[in-house]
Amino acid sequence: MSSDQDHLKETDTEARFEFKKEQKSSFQADKGLTEETIRVISEDKDEPEWMLQRRLRALKQFQEMPMPTDWPGQPDLSEVDVNEIVPYIRPDVETRGGVDDWTDLPDDIKDTFDKLGIPEAEKNALSGVGAQYESEVVYQNMQERWEEKGVVFMNMDQAVQEHEDIVKEYFMTKCVPPSDNKFAALHGAIWSGGSFVYVPEDTTVDMPVQAYFRMNSEGMGQFEHTLIVAEEGSEVHYIEGCSAPKYSAFNLHSGGVEVFVGEDAHVQYSTVQNWSKNTYNLNTKRAIVEKGGRMEWISGSMGSKATMLYPASILKGRGASDNHITIAFAGEGQNIDTGAKVYHNAPNTKSTIESKSISKDGGRTNYRGLVHISEGATNSSTAVECDALMFDNESTSDTMPYMEINESKVDVAHEATVGKIGDEDIFYLQSRGLDDDDAKQMIVSGFIEPITEELPIEYAVELNRLVELEMEGSLG
Amino acid sequence: MSSATLPANLSEETVREISERRDEPEWMLQRRLDALDALDDVDLPDVIQTPGRRWTNLEALDFEELVDPLNQSDETERVTDEGVHVLPFTEAFDEFDDVLEANFGKTVDPESNYLTALSAALFTTGTFIYVPEGVDAKDVKVRAKMNSKSLFSHTLVVTEDSSSATILERIDSGDDVEGDRYFSNLVEVTTGENSYVQYGSLQNLDEDTYHYTFKRGDADVYGTINWIEGNIGSRLTRSDVETELNGDSSETKIVGAFFGHNDQHLDINARVWHQAENTTADLVTRGVLDDDARSVYEGVQDVGRDAWNTSSYQRENTLMLSDESEADASPKLIIHNHDTEASHSATVGQVDEEDLFYMTSRSVPPLQARNMLVEGFFVPVLEEIAVDEFREDLEELIAERLR
Repeated sequence: MSSDQDHLKETDTEARFEFKKEQKSSFQADKGLTEETIRVISEDKDEPEWMLQRRLRALKQFQEMPMPTDWPGQPDLSEVDVNEIVPYIRPDVETRGGVDDWTDLPDDIKDTFDKLGIPEAEKNALSGVGAQYESEVVYQNMQERWEEKGVVFMNMDQAVQEHEDIVKEYFMTKCVPPSDNKFAALHGAIWSGGSFVYVPEDTTVDMPVQAYFRMNSEGMGQFEHTLIVAEEGSEVHYIEGCSAPKYSAFNLHSGGVEVFVGEDAHVQYSTVQNWSKNTYNLNTKRAIVEKGGRMEWISGSMGSKATMLYPASILKGRGASDNHITIAFAGEGQNIDTGAKVYHNAPNTKSTIESKSISKDGGRTNYRGLVHISEGATNSSTAVECDALMFDNESTSDTMPYMEINESKVDVAHEATVGKIGDEDIFYLQSRGLDDDDAKQMIVSGFIEPITEELPIEYAVELNRLVELEMEGSLG
Repeated sequence: MSSATLPANLSEETVREISERRDEPEWMLQRRLDALDALDDVDLPDVIQTPGRRWTNLEALDFEELVDPLNQSDETERVTDEGVHVLPFTEAFDEFDDVLEANFGKTVDPESNYLTALSAALFTTGTFIYVPEGVDAKDVKVRAKMNSKSLFSHTLVVTEDSSSATILERIDSGDDVEGDRYFSNLVEVTTGENSYVQYGSLQNLDEDTYHYTFKRGDADVYGTINWIEGNIGSRLTRSDVETELNGDSSETKIVGAFFGHNDQHLDINARVWHQAENTTADLVTRGVLDDDARSVYEGVQDVGRDAWNTSSYQRENTLMLSDESEADASPKLIIHNHDTEASHSATVGQVDEEDLFYMTSRSVPPLQARNMLVEGFFVPVLEEIAVDEFREDLEELIAERLR
């Protein structure tokens, strides 16, 4: 590490994610996963019977499904033993469902989110904020003007009680059934926390709502569920951020995200994931898009030991569209296996997928994507572009797209490139007085710009700082 | 992947009889028996599977019904060039026993999968092509007709240092046979240093025939292996064309053309492994689908840890002429060395409306205009073909299909 990189260590960015809090909780489930665990969690949450039954059914499916082990180049999941995971920790907070004033939180939790900069961001740029600590949402607030318009933004557990009809209809039924994959089934059995967002017809929520997920305890699993229902003609931008301090034992994050994009509605879902490098991040995210609707998935995957994440859009109605922008950054010991899935099930549907990945110090990035055009989805078009940047000879970059085209009146294009940082580009910048490290830094910032420009400025800055931190000391 | 079971009409005696009829040396018989043994342990070739969709269904092949090992028959014509040896295996054992023994099964491991093992155990035809050092063979041709229900062919090309060979293989159906048929074609190419091979293969089997081909080359230092693979016929084709670039500065092109109609299923695969420094690969595949035809394409560019200064390119384009046709494609990049310039692209679409409009506005009738554009679509592939006969034959088959 060169000396002029040292300052990076001094920035608070690292400290902001790495600090640990002493583990304090009012209720903690035993390690492992049994029917009894599920019943205890469900009872602690005072859930209706149907939710308990859904959990138990999902548990059964989880137990019957095999681990995915035969995908080429996939992360090694042999360490992931759910019996070693503490699936449920209710932090020591008096108000179930979260307080709506930061000062009502216990000092250590408040301090956590202060360090992460969440209350500050809320003041400046957000319509609403939810904050999850371990398994429960501890803070939830939305500006009053949205409440008046009928917009709902609450934690998922509370929604089960207060919006039972909607949740019962949409929760892991039409979009992500537990049978989808082993970790969706696990999620269905032990989900806790997350957000419920409901946007009524023709309502545009003009500033993003945000949820922040923090795992603090060693060896825990976080399984939050996010359900977004955007009615006809509505518009909302949801942002999630994730982090955890690093422990020696592994942590597991297996979230579930379901988005229902109504006719002519527009939903943008942005994620900046910075899990600690002992975390397995195995999520299932999916949107169903009705006629004329538009879904946008923006993801930055920086952290975790292993990520397997392929946000999916099912373009169900005529003229529905999808836009995926993903960036993956894998450093030492990381395997970031990510991509996109789009099903074109109606005529005149459009999708664009833009993927950027960076691998260095033995890290591995995989792009794994599927575009399926069903028979009858005439005049559909899809364009996929994957670019990978590699820093050294220890790293690996795979691009594995799959295209299934059952309709002739379509326009399908896939393009990918892989390469190292151009010597000429570096030379150019050096001749303008930058040193080697700064030049590389600048090229990387330019490489990921398509992603950062989609995010509100605070997040763009955050993402850039994370990238800077990842690059620190590794260059030259 | 489940492995197929051993057909009941296949035993050690069958294999011994085939070998005996061909008066083969002991080592050859032993290789056949090893391959037969392996049948119990190996699986069918890998097929891409996504949720709810299996891209090619090889499990449906009923080898019991398809394979008739002792009644294989073919009619093969071999055209040779000065200084090069182009022989059926049976005539090569005397003079080239050492070369054969050293190279048979070296590039295509008979135990790669169930279909290669079956082929190595049962083959009764094929060609041994040997190009001695410094020889340039411009005009080697092998024209084969399949006359039996099933036929297994094995071709081995060995080129010594600083030699070159341009080879054309053409495969057609001869005598009519009742029911389904199976043709298996393994091709191995091993090059010496600084040697060049273009291996063109044009398959136009009848549409009752299931066709498996596995062609694999091993390129030495400064060596070049160029494959041209044309698939027009067969009911189902599974074609794997692969090059290992093991020598520094070696090169390969894998060029493919296919044209499916009726209910043909064409599973076309092109793969390259960059294992040495300064290697170059270019994979180009163009295909057209009409009626209910379905295509599957997988292209793999694998750049190894030690493959410094690699250049690797891949393009695949599919043109769909009918609403009922289906095309699956998966171009893959597996990169372990950052000193690489690699790209791939794939497209699926129809004949371009504007091109069509331009042609019809010049008073070309619509169907003729479309056909001209389809023929034009194949030009990037046709341009790669060094043998006139091959290019003309392929053009003719494409034109015939468009009529």
